[in-house]
Amino acid sequence: MQPSSKEMQGMAGGLAPSAVAAHIALQELQNDGGVDHDDFLDQMMSGLAPAWPMGLGGYDEASLLGSRLRQHQAAGGGSPPNGKSMLLQLNHHHYAHHASPQQQLLLQSMGQPPAGGGGDSGGFLPLPLSLGSGGSGHSGLLVDISREEVDAPFKASDSTKAEALYNNGFGENHQHFHHPQNHRGAPPAAAGKCQVPAAASGSPSTGGGAVPPRPRVRARRGQATDPHSIAERLRRERIAERMKALQELVPNSNKTDKASMLDEIIDYVKFLQLQVKVLSMSRLGGAAAVAPLVADMSSKAGAGRGEADGAAANDGLTAAEHQVAKLLEEDMGSAMQYLQGKGLCLMPISLASAISSATCHPRSPIPGGLSQLNRRTAPSPHAAGDAPSSPSMSALTVPSTNGGGDADISRPSRCKD
Amino acid sequence: MESKSSDENCNNPNSELHPSKLMMASHFLRALFRIQHTTTDSSFAGRSRKIRRAAYASMAYSVGTKRSWSSALLRKLRSRSRLRSPNPRRAKYAALPGKPRVARPQQREMDQAQVLRELVPGGTSMDDCRLLEETTDFVRCLSTQVRLMQAVVDSVSI
Repeated sequence: MQPSSKEMQGMAGGLAPSAVAAHIALQELQNDGGVDHDDFLDQMMSGLAPAWPMGLGGYDEASLLGSRLRQHQAAGGGSPPNGKSMLLQLNHHHYAHHASPQQQLLLQSMGQPPAGGGGDSGGFLPLPLSLGSGGSGHSGLLVDISREEVDAPFKASDSTKAEALYNNGFGENHQHFHHPQNHRGAPPAAAGKCQVPAAASGSPSTGGGAVPPRPRVRARRGQATDPHSIAERLRRERIAERMKALQELVPNSNKTDKASMLDEIIDYVKFLQLQVKVLSMSRLGGAAAVAPLVADMSSKAGAGRGEADGAAANDGLTAAEHQVAKLLEEDMGSAMQYLQGKGLCLMPISLASAISSATCHPRSPIPGGLSQLNRRTAPSPHAAGDAPSSPSMSALTVPSTNGGGDADISRPSRCKD
Repeated sequence: MESKSSDENCNNPNSELHPSKLMMASHFLRALFRIQHTTTDSSFAGRSRKIRRAAYASMAYSVGTKRSWSSALLRKLRSRSRLRSPNPRRAKYAALPGKPRVARPQQREMDQAQVLRELVPGGTSMDDCRLLEETTDFVRCLSTQVRLMQAVVDSVSI
């Protein structure tokens, strides 16, 4: 471990570009599987192979690696080629710049992210790769690329291959050997983690169509903690669905903003509850007023046909209406009682017009005058037109309907408009 | 205006119509009948409260226990009828959270969710997703109930 770090420090300068590339690629690998695997891989392979020095002892391994890469790529691992190609790239750099510690770093960081792990197809194959004709400080890069499902066999082959290579390789690489072993446990998780974004995000990679010259796949946000982000996304989608369904229920809803939609929903629920309350009161008013008023109603209905009576009643009633309106503001009960005391009741406009039109049939249930003055006090702030709309009633008194009913009808109705 | 009410009712005929409207109607009418004939209380407010409670009870009863809001509502009504709380209306129209509105959208959403939870019966122990589901069903049922009551009123008055 120590010599490698020393090596790293020594080569820091020379490693800068490759290190940058490595870290960038690593970041992107961590962030996204992307759909550009194939392009990426091709580019890597194309860039890699010719650049690979001929005298490299590991060149055979490199071609072997390449073939196996393609194999795995065909088998359907998007990320593995990604990882492999990146590691190959690093390897290449490594060879050029003796960047073994860098690769160690890479492997370490690769091993770290998959805290969550749990991807479907692993991404890393254990590919031992050794470089190097006679350089001191060369290290065999052990590319741990293993699929999760075929972990065990790979592990076995890993160790044998690694050992073989290292036996062929250099003594000081033994310490590096430990890294792959450490990572062997982690890489399936790492691979899984890297693969999961690829699998889960599927198409939504923002890598775009054209393959950039650099291995730059744009990261998709939220991939850092994958299971959580997926669950989050699912939950958000579900909530959005439900909000849409709710929005259809609420009438005249054209908001798209979630907050305002929620506001509308809340207002609508409150409005409906208020409607129930109002309707129960109106029904009650009718029920309470029926008995004592039946007689009055029939007599008034009979007598109130005359215009004079109606007019007189109208004039007299305007004051009463105001009084009623005032009372209604404060307390429904007292308003109704006031009306009852006067021998009047409230009734719907429709009923009133029906009565005035039906000259011959003053039905006694009429005074079931189940109307309710639509107050503007409806809770919905924007429902100036909405709130009164449903009950569709207005305050009206019986005698006035028989006379010049329209005048009186219009007056209360203005409250609704 | 009548036209507007008809518009509102015809807006979403399919979505607003609750499947068990007939059942709701029968329950509610029966409850109304019972109230009218058995109660001796002549106070206006008391009777209106009874009718309102009957409306909610019939609504919840017809839906049954399929929905959590209906079960919660039934439970609340039954316990309230036993306790005879002085002002059940206050519980119905739950007080809005007293704290001032925070400008942050997330906070506002949380407030709204809280308000909604208090409005919908049984909503306090639900997560957001389920809350929206229950709200949907509750709104649908409520609008059906309102239209039902409206129809009763209309039929009785004419």
